[in-house]
Amino acid sequence: MNNIVSIAVKEIKHDFRDRRTLLFMLAFPIVLMLILGLALTNAFSSNVKLGEMKVLVKDTSHGGPLADAFTSFTAELKKSDIHFETIKKGVNGLEEIRQNRYDGYMELTDSGISLYGNNQSAIEGNVIEGMLKAFTDKYNAVSAVAKVEPAKVSQLFVPSASANGSYIKETSVNANRQPGSMDYYAVAMSVMIGLWGAMSAGRLIRSEIVQGTAPRLVATPVRRSELFAGKVLGSIVQNFLCVLIVVLFSKFAFGAYWGEHLGIALLILLSEVVMSVSLGLGVSYLFKGKASTGILLLFVQLASFFGGAYFPVSVSGTDMANYIVLASPIRWANHALTELIYGQSSVFSAAWPAISLNLGLAVLLLAVSAVFMRRKEGL
Amino acid sequence: MNVLDIRGLTKKFGNFIAVDNISLSIREGEIFGFLGANGAGKSTTINMIASLLRPSSGEILILDRDIAKQSRFAKMNLGMVPQDLAIYEDMTSYENVSFFAGLYGLRGTELKDRTEEALQFVGLADKAKSYPRDFSGGMKRRLNIACALAHKPKLIIMDEPTVGIDPQSRNYILNSVRKLNEDGCTIIYTSHYMEEVEEICSRIAIVDHGKIIAEGTKEQLTATITDMKDIRIEVKSLTDVPADQLRLIPGVRTVRLDEMEPVIRIHSDAAVDNLNRILKELIASGAEIRSVEEQEPNLETVFLTLTGRNLRD
Repeated sequence: MNNIVSIAVKEIKHDFRDRRTLLFMLAFPIVLMLILGLALTNAFSSNVKLGEMKVLVKDTSHGGPLADAFTSFTAELKKSDIHFETIKKGVNGLEEIRQNRYDGYMELTDSGISLYGNNQSAIEGNVIEGMLKAFTDKYNAVSAVAKVEPAKVSQLFVPSASANGSYIKETSVNANRQPGSMDYYAVAMSVMIGLWGAMSAGRLIRSEIVQGTAPRLVATPVRRSELFAGKVLGSIVQNFLCVLIVVLFSKFAFGAYWGEHLGIALLILLSEVVMSVSLGLGVSYLFKGKASTGILLLFVQLASFFGGAYFPVSVSGTDMANYIVLASPIRWANHALTELIYGQSSVFSAAWPAISLNLGLAVLLLAVSAVFMRRKEGL
Repeated sequence: MNVLDIRGLTKKFGNFIAVDNISLSIREGEIFGFLGANGAGKSTTINMIASLLRPSSGEILILDRDIAKQSRFAKMNLGMVPQDLAIYEDMTSYENVSFFAGLYGLRGTELKDRTEEALQFVGLADKAKSYPRDFSGGMKRRLNIACALAHKPKLIIMDEPTVGIDPQSRNYILNSVRKLNEDGCTIIYTSHYMEEVEEICSRIAIVDHGKIIAEGTKEQLTATITDMKDIRIEVKSLTDVPADQLRLIPGVRTVRLDEMEPVIRIHSDAAVDNLNRILKELIASGAEIRSVEEQEPNLETVFLTLTGRNLRD
């Protein structure tokens, strides 16, 4: 056990002293997260910013409860940046709408209110229509009550109660929290560097051969299984530490949201790192020399691209592209983390499939590596 | 007592026989020279002793124990100084020695003391916190040796430990080898520098085409050569020496120009009287001769006679 720890510590020291590794594993994802997170903010936002809204009003009524209530209504909406202007003599309200000078045009008569919307500003028109509907519903309710119990009318039309919020009912297709761009890229980059562990693991054995230290290591009384275990352990710890640093940096420096179950999220990432290290090691035993580095590089880049590391990728239908997306380890982890962080599934059902898939593959790949290692002379 | 016994050792790579039925014994306290040209089977033999390669057949015993059956015991008593530097450039000298010593089971104060002792032995105690990437070639070679010493092995294999270093570091290493031997360590030493082997080895084996073709002390080996002579000619400069012309003279086997001194070394058949012809060629080419000496055969002569080529070919 001591030998395994010694070898693992050596691996960790080696990687953390290598400036290129640090730049690659820490600085690059953090900078990429910052750039993509800031550049694509709008692409992830579900809010629509509305400016000042102007409504032209033509009042031909002769006073009365409806006119009074409408005056109160317009005064309240002014607080929400919806301004009502009384039409001047000789001005055609409909023409003003056509010219896009107002977002709506209302005609108030003794018999009721007519609203003309502006097709060129549909969202604003819908907002005005929705609020006017809320007003008329309330007015109708008051009228109905007045016919039965006139004394209770005042309780229904308390001005403070009709403050701006009471005319606006918030409805949403998905009321749950949705990831912003920084939230998305915090997860995506952390998952991506988790997979990058495959590349450093692919060099675990070859680096000893290239450095010339392989003969000395084999000449020591350390069993090859210990050497293997130490290297795997060291690589897992080193890669997971990098992932952890990126996660914590994104959380505390960029304010990325990691949900209520950070421990489980880290467990998903740890399982991904274990799988990645096993993948790198397995490929390095299956393919000799630089071929393994090339294969791993290609795999990691494709998996990153199709797995949603650089932009969100959705799965629909059954075509080949979807199979490729679903085969990306980045997609598994990304999907599991999104489900976990945004509460779209229970903690168990969000995390367990990805963790078990990662660990299952890791066991398989490590077993393949171990078989090849036993057959080989030297390292 | 034998520190190493090799019996019928063979290694095949496919149809190629790299080591062919070698048997050898090395006694405690010896510095055993292992000579062979590139591809002779010397490194393959050493790699099998160090458990880097598995023998196709035969057995290797270290301190009377079969390394195939008691691998851990054998490795605990073996130190390996590989020909290529086997050190981590991004770990300090201390960390390098300590890491490898730790793999031999040393811990705590013992590990610290042995690490410091090994660094002291190779003259790198003051560089304990320095990184090998900042070292000269000689310092790296010394650190390479220190990494094999800290666990105090009974047998050390040194494969070309002085290759590519300056004369000062080379002398330091050779003195270290002698000192290790005085301290009771048995050493297997390989080198392309025949003078080194002559200088420090108590017994020598010459390997060619996977077989040991000669074995014994320097005196025993040179005594077997009676039909060769060595001619040493010191000149002012080597620029005018017609080496190709000299090689055409009857009886001349090899001509080597040693730029360090500068000296011409000629191996020739003892039966052919060709010294006058050699000198005439040199004078005709304008070479300024300072001294001429006919020497007794040395190891190089032995090697050449037995293998038909120079060690450095």
